[in-house]
Amino acid sequence: MREPIHTWLALGLALVLAIVVGACAGHDWATPADLWRAAAGDQALRSRLLVEWRIPRVLAAALVGGLLGLGGVIFQGVFRNPLAEPYLLGSAGGAALGATVALLVPLAMPQSVLLPLLAFAGAWGATVLVIGISRVSGAVDAAGMLLAGVAVAAILGALRSFLMLALSDETVSLQIVLSWVLGGVQTPSWPVLGLLTLISAGCLGLTLLLAGRLDVLGLGETMAVAFGLNVTRFIAVAVLAGSVVVAAAVAFGGLVAFVGLAAPHIARWLVGPLHRPLLPASALVGAIVVTLADAIARAALPPAEIPLGLVTAVAGGPFFIMLLARRLRT
Amino acid sequence: MRRLFLAALAAGCLSGPAHAGPVTVRDAFGRTVTLPAPPQRIVTIFASNTEMVAALGLADRVVGIEAYTRFPPEVLGKPLVGGRLGFSVDAVVAERPDLVVVTPARQAANQLVDPMERLGIPIVVLLHRSVAEVLDNIRLLGRIGGVAERGEELAARLQSRLDRIKQRVAGLTEPSTIMITGRLGNGLLLIARPGTYTGDAIVRAGGRFALDSGAIAQVSPEAILKADPDVLLFAGSDKDLKELIARPGWKDMRAVKDKRAHAVVRAELLIPGPRTIDGIERLAGILHPQAATR
Repeated sequence: MREPIHTWLALGLALVLAIVVGACAGHDWATPADLWRAAAGDQALRSRLLVEWRIPRVLAAALVGGLLGLGGVIFQGVFRNPLAEPYLLGSAGGAALGATVALLVPLAMPQSVLLPLLAFAGAWGATVLVIGISRVSGAVDAAGMLLAGVAVAAILGALRSFLMLALSDETVSLQIVLSWVLGGVQTPSWPVLGLLTLISAGCLGLTLLLAGRLDVLGLGETMAVAFGLNVTRFIAVAVLAGSVVVAAAVAFGGLVAFVGLAAPHIARWLVGPLHRPLLPASALVGAIVVTLADAIARAALPPAEIPLGLVTAVAGGPFFIMLLARRLRT
Repeated sequence: MRRLFLAALAAGCLSGPAHAGPVTVRDAFGRTVTLPAPPQRIVTIFASNTEMVAALGLADRVVGIEAYTRFPPEVLGKPLVGGRLGFSVDAVVAERPDLVVVTPARQAANQLVDPMERLGIPIVVLLHRSVAEVLDNIRLLGRIGGVAERGEELAARLQSRLDRIKQRVAGLTEPSTIMITGRLGNGLLLIARPGTYTGDAIVRAGGRFALDSGAIAQVSPEAILKADPDVLLFAGSDKDLKELIARPGWKDMRAVKDKRAHAVVRAELLIPGPRTIDGIERLAGILHPQAATR
């Protein structure tokens, strides 16, 4: 393993750079000097746009990426499968259904509250449902949960498609739902951003509590039992914790493809497989990736915005394949 | 007509000089929007809003439009602030607007209302669920644009044309009508329905709905065949209409056999602005050809 201090410094620096680049990027590019002026309290419209709109969005993107990085580590650790990703157990389908309701059904609450709330409820509810099903059917192992997850995801996806067909017309467009499903960081107000920061910190603490047992589980179920771990129970607890993390990410960032899968792998190459360093490292990698991808999404195609999930998949996919290929050669 | 016109003018004058002091309006979302002074830099999202603002004589104050606005000619070439993939907060703010007018279609209201509110840029949301609401929008834009009397006058003129159509078709048997407004990739057709301004236009032109699809705008071609309307309307080109009625089974439809399948102008019936009244007049002529001279 490389000297960890250098790695952490490099990761931290990369994140700061990514955030600065992100805050500069847009259809109307700003310079770091503009950022400085805006942060110093300049009242020009352009400066206020940076402070009120762009910077909160960039920071939210970083936090969403961090949460996805954490979620990915949990799910890959629990299922001991490098292909596991945070949306595995129905949370994507549940969140998308919740968001569709929030976006298309007129309810007596402002959408800025309703959307994160229902997305969170959908994501978490779907995972709880999956665990419940596998428990009732007596298959509380990884395979049972995965199958229940696939089934629940299919049902929720169908429900969402029906709602989208039934409730959209010329004025309530499918595009709203589609662009959310394809990933779109909502720009929070500063107080909400504070809340998201607290949630993210809480999620990091929560997942760090699981780190030791995830290491033990990584040795294999038999070994884990020998180490005194109640595997069935731990898997359920870890999945519930992971799904809270993912639901929080989904509530603020929509469905961002691929980051939850890739970030843990990249982090593992940097800090090794032990979960205590892996969790924060993966969070940092996820934050960097999503911040940069969000900058591309906002700036690449003026005056339009590309859905974030498309950017992470299109730009992140080849990059990840390249890393993977280099890794396999050595 | 002239009397109405004068009455509107009088009403406009009585309401006082509109260009003095702040103006407050309540928009379609129930939001209260206050403008300290008449706007000089207006971003109008969507063709309908651009057309209404231009019809009020304010085209030269429009500083931003979206990519699908094709009318009137004097606004073409203005900076684009959005298109198919959404609307850019950056691009809107770069125009330093003092008024943004938007309709909750595509993602416009979603993407723009919140940031504009945070930046203190007045943004008005308009809906158009009926033709009356379209006229209300013209009045509201007139008030907020500092040309209240022009708005009242234009709305009154359009209203008197609507009244004339009403007289013309009064007492006539309404033909059952279906207007196809679009085709979906999966073979389903979009139709005009009650509760929309396009549906309202059909009723005002003296038609009735042959098929009530409820809240859902998309219906299967079979449902249209089964409803067998007296008149079949297609919002689009004659060529596309021919293609549509060349489908198996459609030739035997009553409307097609009776030569009562017509193409209607999309820009008139699918853009809720002043031209919608032109569309209703034309539609009344199609639905009640015998009444054209009444």
